[in-house]
Amino acid sequence: MIFPFSAIVGQDEMKTGLLLNVVDPAIGGLLIMGEKGTAKSTAVRALADLLPEIEVVEGCPFGCTPDGLLCSACRERLNKNEGLKREMRKMKVVELPLGITEDRLVGTLDIEHALKKGEKRFEPGILAAANNNFLYVDEVNLLEDHIVDLLLDSAAMGVNTVEREGVSFTHPARFILVGTMNPEEGELRPQLLDRFGLCVRVTSVRDKNKRIEILRRRMRFDAEPDSFLREWQAEQERMAAQVTAARERRDRIEMSEPVLEQIVAMTTQLNLDGHRADIVILKAARALAALAGKGEIGTEEVRTAAMLSLIHRQKRLPFEEMGSQMTKVQQLFSGASRP
Amino acid sequence: MNFCGFVGHDDAKLALILNAIDPQCGGVLFAGEKGSGKSTCARLFRELLPGETPFVEVPLNMTEDALLGTVDIERALKHGEKAFQPGILSRADGGVIHIDDINLLPAGMIALIFEAHDRGTNILEREGITAHHPCRFIPIATMDPDEGLLSAHFLDRFGMFVAWGAIRTNAGKMEIIRKSESVLYATSDTDAALSRLRERIANARRLLKRVHVPATIEQSIVERGIERGIEGHRGELFLFCAARAYAAFRAEITVTEEHVDQVLPLVLAHRARPAPEEQEEPTEVQPSEKNQSDNESQTERETEPHNHQNQLHEGGAQETSSEASAAPADASTRKEEIFDTGEPFPVRRIALRKDRLKRAESGRRTKTASQGKSGRYVRSGFKSAERDVALDATLRAAAPYQAMRERNGSVVIRPEDLRFKEREKKMSHLVIFVVDGSGSMGAQRRMTETKGAVQSLLLDCYRKRDKVAFIVFRRNRAEIVLPPTSSFEYAAKRLKEIPVGGRTPLSAGLLEVYRLVMRMRMRRPQTRCLVVLVTDGRANQALGETDIEMELRSMAGLLSGCKNADCLVIDTEDKKSLTKMDLAARLAEWLDAHYYPLADLRADYLTGMVEYAKSLQWVSAP
Repeated sequence: MIFPFSAIVGQDEMKTGLLLNVVDPAIGGLLIMGEKGTAKSTAVRALADLLPEIEVVEGCPFGCTPDGLLCSACRERLNKNEGLKREMRKMKVVELPLGITEDRLVGTLDIEHALKKGEKRFEPGILAAANNNFLYVDEVNLLEDHIVDLLLDSAAMGVNTVEREGVSFTHPARFILVGTMNPEEGELRPQLLDRFGLCVRVTSVRDKNKRIEILRRRMRFDAEPDSFLREWQAEQERMAAQVTAARERRDRIEMSEPVLEQIVAMTTQLNLDGHRADIVILKAARALAALAGKGEIGTEEVRTAAMLSLIHRQKRLPFEEMGSQMTKVQQLFSGASRP
Repeated sequence: MNFCGFVGHDDAKLALILNAIDPQCGGVLFAGEKGSGKSTCARLFRELLPGETPFVEVPLNMTEDALLGTVDIERALKHGEKAFQPGILSRADGGVIHIDDINLLPAGMIALIFEAHDRGTNILEREGITAHHPCRFIPIATMDPDEGLLSAHFLDRFGMFVAWGAIRTNAGKMEIIRKSESVLYATSDTDAALSRLRERIANARRLLKRVHVPATIEQSIVERGIERGIEGHRGELFLFCAARAYAAFRAEITVTEEHVDQVLPLVLAHRARPAPEEQEEPTEVQPSEKNQSDNESQTERETEPHNHQNQLHEGGAQETSSEASAAPADASTRKEEIFDTGEPFPVRRIALRKDRLKRAESGRRTKTASQGKSGRYVRSGFKSAERDVALDATLRAAAPYQAMRERNGSVVIRPEDLRFKEREKKMSHLVIFVVDGSGSMGAQRRMTETKGAVQSLLLDCYRKRDKVAFIVFRRNRAEIVLPPTSSFEYAAKRLKEIPVGGRTPLSAGLLEVYRLVMRMRMRRPQTRCLVVLVTDGRANQALGETDIEMELRSMAGLLSGCKNADCLVIDTEDKKSLTKMDLAARLAEWLDAHYYPLADLRADYLTGMVEYAKSLQWVSAP
């Protein structure tokens, strides 16, 4: 039983950050940083219920997109002129447990098949399961370095290439990386930090009435999960429909020159390296407009997108808290929005 | 002896009872000195649970395989099938996991346990095996804070916490001895009491669903959380469960304020934030222009009483604070000041080079090939001194050739198929700060800047899971003001309290650090020590009758001979001053240490510096 996403009280930034990634997977994932016990994991796991269906190659364990990059097996089928059938499959949240070993992450030789049939066959790992899905790492800052290396490698390429134990295999591994962490427990490697498209900080809800509501809902859910889920079903369906509609609307939203200028001016003023920030802000702003049912991107969308995209990209001193310079971004906006 | 015969510690017993009534209470952690009955009490918890409830012990030598589960070797070899062999998490489902000395368990292992606990499911992706199974358990743990602390993050996972005070009255002690000595003492009356208690718990369990929590009580639960500045929402959820279980235990169907009050200390004590800084900082002395004169108004600071919360968070606080408070007694004529900690600034990261020694400690600074079977299985290879066979890799190597080898039922494995596990583990470090607290450090706010530098290094240590210790030398002695700890908060507080005043007994400082390094070598031979000596080098107080410089040289020789330690000298002398002596630089030479003037520690200055000889590396900050 998973706590319904729509029943999570407050934490709007985190919820928005997650939904934007559903609307546009190219945004590149979300890092959720925050105090202990603030519904971080609950929200990510709850997202699964709102995910849309996507088109994949029927029966492909790697979830290949029929018109996209294909795995070795699908390519072979194409080469033999066997057509690829299509099917719709719901996106998933695939969890990457901290104790994972290398072979299960990237995949390896299928022992059983080799023993029984004497044939070498590739056994897909988590990266295969995560293709076109969400990949969730709880306590991502505690992940072992050698696993992070592998993760970064395939995240950068969008492909997982395996050469081990006599098997050669390539399959697409485009996943939306979502990580949660408590910064007190240690920092994240800068390369991994940069991988996350968006980043939010969560803190405990301070409002008393909201806190009471949190307590109530959680306890109700624990006591009578079925009736609780029924109560929230309509709201869940409404949200899921909103997300699906936003996905369809996304590519039709106009990205006007002034918006691009506004974004570039901002990242230039903040003296950011690289172009990733610009692209992420643009995509996030577009997804926000799509979610809101708008036809074009407004200043409000750019502002929110910037707040979500810049918190972990700003240059900062190592002991400075992340996002301590966000006021700078806010100031930029109060200047930018002036006529 | 049974649960009811266990003397005293009613709060601990209540915590266990509530968990027996409602497993959602989130378990309990007992913290207290060794030999005070914590584990005994925790084990007696079994008696409160229905007969078939699993109760699984977590030994400190546990491997990840044993915790999470692994591939079933027998079935793999005999039948060539992949099968899941359940681990501790699987066996504990629906029951209890008892972790004795949880603070001695590697943090990574604790993270794995709570990851599964939080999710309610164990997801296994290891060595070719994939398995998902339900994993709901009550965590019961004990710790001795003197042995090391537990991070707030893990503390928060426990529904309840009991600070275990040892029983000190003679009558109490006598009773304990009598009971522990004799199994016979479990006489009919404690037997009867236990069965009455079990029945009461069973009734409470049945009643639990019907217990009503009025809206006013929900509100008051949240208010109490807010009042105490509790981070996150777990505290309130646990408080709700505990109060409800307590009402059920009292056979009442409506939760009242009194029920909440009764369980409040169990649930919220370990979550409360340490008291705000203002309250702890009664004296703040601005350094005067010329503070070398002895007759200025003297400021002595009492070590503030450690409140309950601090004790919970930081464990061994009491012992050391009493040591520290003993110091000012002999110095009524000396001037003493306490300077604020300056702004921390970015310092270069300190990284020790990977060494070849195989080690068995855990930490984050340096990775090291690990000894024994406890590190994380990183990959498989052809060589191993440990004969630690990586079954999955071996089977994969052998699998394609089975037809050729005329396999008959079980799998044929040849020596050339064997693969071994390569394990890696992060080595632990102890960073010993040896700080000059003499009067000369007070000039021109030098101590403030020094504290800022140390604070910066300290933050770095914390993130790398290093332990830290402080030694301060001033007047005529050196003392360990902070024994090795991993509590950053506590270290930062100690740093703040370091006073300045008096002469400079530099050799005493070196002697003290030498002793500490030697003790570490005896007790934890696998730990590397990094000695950070912060001084202006103006030694003017010898230990004995000999020449100060001679004394320093021989002390430095002793220290540089310690193979488990590296040294670093941070020179705080004002380099613009006409009277500069550069003694610290010479000392660094004798110590065979790396030497940095205080100003050079700042990252902007260090930018571009890359390589260093010997075993120290300063790597650029991000």
